[in-house]
Amino acid sequence: MKILIRMVGIATTLFWIFLIGFFISAVYSAKDVKFDFGEPRIGLSSDNEILFSLPITIDNKGYYDIGSFNVTTEISDREGFMISRASTFVPVIEKGRQIMATHEDTIDINDLLGNSQDYLFNDTELEVLETVSIKLADVIPVQTSRNLSVPWGAPLYNFTLGKIEYSGFNVTHMIATIPINFENHASFDLTGSIQMRMYNNANILMSEGQKTIETPQNTPYYGQVELDVPVAAITESGYFEVYFLTPFFNFGPLVISYG
Amino acid sequence: MAEEKRDSNKRLREFLFKAIKASIKGLIFYVIYLVLSMFLAPVSEIVPNIQQIVEIFVVVYICLMIIGELTSGTIFQHFFNAAKALFTILYLALSLNGGIVGMTVQDVNLAVDLRLFLAVAMLLGLLGLAKSVLQAINFLNKKSEHIRF
Repeated sequence: MKILIRMVGIATTLFWIFLIGFFISAVYSAKDVKFDFGEPRIGLSSDNEILFSLPITIDNKGYYDIGSFNVTTEISDREGFMISRASTFVPVIEKGRQIMATHEDTIDINDLLGNSQDYLFNDTELEVLETVSIKLADVIPVQTSRNLSVPWGAPLYNFTLGKIEYSGFNVTHMIATIPINFENHASFDLTGSIQMRMYNNANILMSEGQKTIETPQNTPYYGQVELDVPVAAITESGYFEVYFLTPFFNFGPLVISYG
Repeated sequence: MAEEKRDSNKRLREFLFKAIKASIKGLIFYVIYLVLSMFLAPVSEIVPNIQQIVEIFVVVYICLMIIGELTSGTIFQHFFNAAKALFTILYLALSLNGGIVGMTVQDVNLAVDLRLFLAVAMLLGLLGLAKSVLQAINFLNKKSEHIRF
């Protein structure tokens, strides 16, 4: 009996020493692990989607390997609708090693527009839930998360059509000049075309035309579309149907009344 | 009369020896705690409560250890040893919130999953409890043999 008790006592003491020693060294070594999140970059992917990339450098100078390093970003709109989700996973970061990774998340503007067309015309904010998880010494899972607000710049901010000006062309037709202006607040240069259809108050299509646009980011656009309209069909009021065709998104019709 | 006095002197000596032994044990335990707490210093900067939690644990544990040592040679020693093991199990389970420790530092939520550590610690606590029960049984067994003899 005495031997058994002594054996249990010795085994318990040894396991306690091992457990406490391991735990404290694992926690202590965590201070020598450096995570460096670089400046986030916003660009365009090969599929013409908005590419959000975040460079990450992990320098493991601790005593143990780090397992299951995972970065997850969830981008959602202000109503909580999830737009995109992406993860970057590094299975093992060995002790004494430095690893560089890039976390990438893409946003398809067409998905955004499916939820609300406001993203084209009004600046707003996107909610980003950023989660980083690791396994200290490969056995102690640690997870950090935070919510961020990322400003969203509208590519067609304050899109307006100016007053129509008619000028003579021939006996049957006139040229209608419609001024267009907007500001590109987006993080990309906007290229593409604007198609316009002009209807009179009897819902008859009078004319249609298109204008190529090329607007660098954070610059205003001032342009005009000239439409060849039949004099007989011109009315005081009516409406335009505007279509936007760009490599990043296709949107339309946007109906704008005139008169 | 002289035998009675010798007997009381012997008891006093035994008690003093136990007290010194208990003090040395408590001191060694406290020194180990001080050394280990230096390693935990970076964590206590992030988690403000951890220092207090560990200190309370160390104080109660040392008290139980000293009382157990002072009552050595009696059945109470085993009661206090069992209490020490139970205290370790319950305190770890309660202070570690079932193994998932969560906190918010500035705007960052931090969660640490210590369930594996807690499970091993509780198993070791149970092993300590089993040892105390075995010691108590052994003690009573010896005592009954002594009385029969």
